Amino acid sequence: MKRSLLSQKKEILDRLRAAVVAGDENLVREIVKEAIEKDVEPLEAIESGLIPAIREVGEKFEKMELFLTDMMMAAEAMKAGMNLLLPKIPKEKIPRRGTVVAGTVKGDIHEIGKNVLAALLVAGGFDVHDLGSDVPASQFVKKAEEVGADIIAASALMTTTLPGQKDILDYLKAVAKRSEHLVLVGGGPTTAEWAEEIGADGYGETAMDGVKIALRKMEEKAKMSAL
Amino acid sequence: MRSSLDVSKRALTGQICSERDFDQKIFALRLAEALKKCDIRYDSEVLIPEDDGMADDLFRAAMGFYASVGTYCLDTERIIRFDESEIKEGLRVAPSEAVFGEGLDAGVFRPRRPESKEFPWCFIGAGGAPVSSEEVFLSLMQGYGMIALADAITTPELTQIDGVPIRVNTPLEIYGAIRNAVLARDALRSIGRPGLPIMNALATAASDTALIAALHPLYGLRPSDGYFVATMAELKTNFELMNKASVLTALGARIGTLAGCVMGGYCGGPEGTALTVAAHHAHGTLVNQATYHLNHPAHMRYVANSSPELLWIISMYAQAISRNTHLLSLSLNYTCAGPGTDMALYEIAAQVITAVVSGVSIEAVGLAKAVHIDHLSPIEPKFAAEVAHAAVGMKRTDANEIVKNLVKRYVDTIANPPIGKKYQALFDMKTGRPSKECLESYGRVKKELEDLGLTFEW
Repeated sequence: MKRSLLSQKKEILDRLRAAVVAGDENLVREIVKEAIEKDVEPLEAIESGLIPAIREVGEKFEKMELFLTDMMMAAEAMKAGMNLLLPKIPKEKIPRRGTVVAGTVKGDIHEIGKNVLAALLVAGGFDVHDLGSDVPASQFVKKAEEVGADIIAASALMTTTLPGQKDILDYLKAVAKRSEHLVLVGGGPTTAEWAEEIGADGYGETAMDGVKIALRKMEEKAKMSAL
Repeated sequence: MRSSLDVSKRALTGQICSERDFDQKIFALRLAEALKKCDIRYDSEVLIPEDDGMADDLFRAAMGFYASVGTYCLDTERIIRFDESEIKEGLRVAPSEAVFGEGLDAGVFRPRRPESKEFPWCFIGAGGAPVSSEEVFLSLMQGYGMIALADAITTPELTQIDGVPIRVNTPLEIYGAIRNAVLARDALRSIGRPGLPIMNALATAASDTALIAALHPLYGLRPSDGYFVATMAELKTNFELMNKASVLTALGARIGTLAGCVMGGYCGGPEGTALTVAAHHAHGTLVNQATYHLNHPAHMRYVANSSPELLWIISMYAQAISRNTHLLSLSLNYTCAGPGTDMALYEIAAQVITAVVSGVSIEAVGLAKAVHIDHLSPIEPKFAAEVAHAAVGMKRTDANEIVKNLVKRYVDTIANPPIGKKYQALFDMKTGRPSKECLESYGRVKKELEDLGLTFEW
């Protein structure tokens, strides 16, 4: 009997992983509801179902076995599952890497790089709030304050919109919130030298680099808080 | 040819759709369906295929795909659609040749075919890469203008005006765009080529306002120059871009539609990217009323188009378009490596040979992904034009072997390329002469290309 319950649970988690990989948002919702009904622990559904699935998608994306649309659909499917499971878990037990507010800066309507970053961050376990494109500095900061973001990730694709990244840092300083949020920058014309010049906390040449830096910065932050 | 008015009407009355649904439910799903219908497959051993049937299949699939997907208007959240007969008509009445420039510097840009003996149109220079000062801008423009094989020039992008960083949608952008136009024409006048066309006129004008401001004849630009109207990835436009097309059409100026399809993005892999680039030619013709089509597909990770998959994509879309239309199409190459490096020259040679042999013309070159300030020089565009001329008439099978050989020389370094040196370190800005190091690299790689079978007349 115990074995049969275990195998039933395994079968549900296998289906849940497959539904996330397939990017099927509705199917993920159905399976999550079924998991809850059949007493699968919500935390287990996340840690053994949703998270390994989105990691698998992230790895396949890095190897270019899956592409942006697959990645975005999988990230949305995962979010749909999370939305049903998170309210059932005590706050302190919720697995979380960090919260990121992402967007393309004011005057710039290029989104594809930022979309890749947002999807990869979700795959990396971050809670991502995507503000879209042409986002003013004040809106980045307002959202970061509202959701308690650890990181503001600002993308710019044109040389003439790069100063929009500096605007965010200036705004944070002006409202005395600079120490509360890490600021990472990226996008076509962004370079390590530029990031250093404006005092950003990190720079990613590609979206994949951006995720690695976000993870590293969160580890550093955790170490600092532990001291 | 569709009028700007007709396109605007469709943007205001077309099917309502969220951007997310356009990307995921329309673009991605129909691309997958279109790919199922045509049997094309990337083969790392055949970067320049010689299968005419495959190129024609790709063309048919791309046009059917565009008819079913259309162009998404971000401002109205509606889809601008054309049926297959409208697409066919648009391609039939699109310009089959165009005169660019004036006086003795004018030239006729004509369509080509795979393995064509027609010389490619060599649109060379900076590829819109950023420069730090007006002094560097002028010196580079003079260097580009003195390249004998230059049919048209692509200017750098000014990043500052009187020491203040240029910002989009501000008066600084307007001043920058005007300064860009004045300096570019002055530089060409100063070397005795006043009529040489600038085909990316106003690299510094991202907004419609800045473009329109700098179009005043007082600043030296002419309808016989070329003006870019970009497309957002993938198959998206907005009113700002449509405003540009409307003004340029009304002035009788030559519009270059710009498409930078991203492999690994919404287009998926090499096959989907090749199909999407081909489909962008229909979009450019109908929505942007383009005279010429500039394509720079890019690898999502490397943001350049010298990797083997990208070379295949260039060859496939070029063959599909050049075999089935008379559109004026160019391939813009972005390299991973920067100026003064052998790697950049290998990348350029591979890209240019692929494009020319597959039936299109060239724009060269965005060095080191056209990201690093002042990382550009006239030696690479000169080299690109010389390789383009040397590749004329070459068979696709022969070109494939040469290109594969070149790829081997840089493929392992694509992820960590040398960014090269700044213009100021590679050239004497007073005399316009390249350094010894720069000339040695140029001579060495040309010799290697001769050993591989290229014959240089320049």
